[in-house]
Amino acid sequence: MNKIFILITFLFTPMFCFGELFLEITKGSEDPYKVAMIPFEGNTRISNQLQNIMRNDLIRTGEFSILDEKLLLPIKIIDDELVYKDWKLLGMDYLVTGKIVKAENSVDINYEIYDIHKKRKVRSSKVFGIPNQIRQLAHYTSDGIYESITGIKGIAATRLLYVNEIKDSKLISTYKLMLADSDGDNEKILLSSSEPIISPSWSPDGKRVAYVSFETGMAKVFIQEISSGKREAVVSKDTQISSPSWSPDGKYLSLTLYQDGNAEIYILRLRDRTLTRMTNQFAIDTESSWSPKGNKLLFTSGRSGSPQIYELDLRRFNPKPKRISFEGTYNAKASYLPNEEGIIFVHRSEDGLFHIALKYKKENFIRVLTEAKMDESPSVAPNGNMVVYGIKEGDLSMLAGFSLSGARFKLPSSDGEVREPAWSNFLR
Amino acid sequence: MNKPTNIFFAVLTLLFFNACSSLQVTEEAIADQSVAGVSLTPKSVAAKAVLANAVVYFEYDKFNLTSKSIQALKGVSQLMNRNPKMTLSIEGHADERGTREYNLALGQRRAESVANYLIANGIKRNRLIIKSYGEERPLSLGSNESAWSKNRRVEIK
Repeated sequence: MNKIFILITFLFTPMFCFGELFLEITKGSEDPYKVAMIPFEGNTRISNQLQNIMRNDLIRTGEFSILDEKLLLPIKIIDDELVYKDWKLLGMDYLVTGKIVKAENSVDINYEIYDIHKKRKVRSSKVFGIPNQIRQLAHYTSDGIYESITGIKGIAATRLLYVNEIKDSKLISTYKLMLADSDGDNEKILLSSSEPIISPSWSPDGKRVAYVSFETGMAKVFIQEISSGKREAVVSKDTQISSPSWSPDGKYLSLTLYQDGNAEIYILRLRDRTLTRMTNQFAIDTESSWSPKGNKLLFTSGRSGSPQIYELDLRRFNPKPKRISFEGTYNAKASYLPNEEGIIFVHRSEDGLFHIALKYKKENFIRVLTEAKMDESPSVAPNGNMVVYGIKEGDLSMLAGFSLSGARFKLPSSDGEVREPAWSNFLR
Repeated sequence: MNKPTNIFFAVLTLLFFNACSSLQVTEEAIADQSVAGVSLTPKSVAAKAVLANAVVYFEYDKFNLTSKSIQALKGVSQLMNRNPKMTLSIEGHADERGTREYNLALGQRRAESVANYLIANGIKRNRLIIKSYGEERPLSLGSNESAWSKNRRVEIK
């Protein structure tokens, strides 16, 4: 007779704010778009708040340089030949202006983007919300500016999931599953537990999350609704279950089940909870992740004698996994770029250190993109231009990121270790 | 089996380990750090002493048992054979290097290696709870070989 007593503390406080992460932009790119942002008219306090958030949003992409506020020209009428000439002399490519209309229960932001070289207005947009949504309004505006200028959808209004571990004075850990805006602000606790939490994963609509919790004394996969905190274990089996990944249509979860005495990949149909086994091999198979179209799975397998990345074509009957990584003796935790032109993964170099690497489908070599010692858990932004991942500085884990155009940023935490970031889909 | 004999055997086993095993160095740390919150069938002091000694260590990226760890496991299979109702939790761990999910799977393989040894020595599989904590519960917090070698382990509880 063995009775297991479990002491777990749960806290469902999705509305509780912290602000524990700080954005630090460490490097921009070499040839950025030069943009002048005129402080928005109408409400100085809101305008200052917007400018700060938007400036960080745009600089962090690595594709923008924002003109110092002190160098801005006083302007009244914009659509004038002479005005364009002045901004051109300052070296600007684009000019952004805006107006804030604040009522008791609403804030409207009207903004306009001018192309200095083409001498014309290229965008006129309005975003609106309630007064406590200034951060969201700023992110939406940043994304509008980013999209107008680069032609690519912005990711300022997306969100990050990650795990925070805090040790008390007796080195007892509390694990938290956290949610924050893509700039690390607006932090909220989704789950707090005395047992480890790993492998957070977003539902494609951004309304639910899946993760692994050890609260029963064994790894199990849970799904949780963000707005209500409602949660449930997805498979009621006695076995260890881990590594959830949501299919792009939201109907399936791929998982690793250990019921066969070994890690094997299964697909769970959420509607009726039926499981289909996808791998059958005596080596470890885990870390599955879906292709953007949902027709392929990537996973890590030890079948060659060391962890390597394999691809499974789900359109075929009884598919055979195809090995797609060959460089070195450790390649793992891969995910596709959104356009499926390549994969991002963890690579161990010859010196034994772990880095984030990229391999394009058309190339027969890998590009190592980071240079710390223990880089892990890369997650690609939905526009494919940025990657967030976990680093270790000294003994402390924190989040860091880079854009494929060469910019770098960090998100250090004021409290404990932060790791395993997962970037949401577009939420707008 | 009555209690005094039980303790007598456990003391014998302890003496056996003191004589021939170098696992002693880590004994105290491991005994002190049993995970809070999970408690199985209460075990006798003697059984606990056997289990504290029965931590099995592994090479980097490996899950095969070494001759040293087989010595430690002999004591465990004897203990379980003497106590037919005893159920044990076989808990695999990995060091921090490598990805978390792969390390969870690697810890599981290590736990399976230990379980398979016990099963080969007459213990029924349903008396073993096989699981892994991957790299989530390190015993030693450093990022160096000394810490890593202590963390690549299977604990029996």
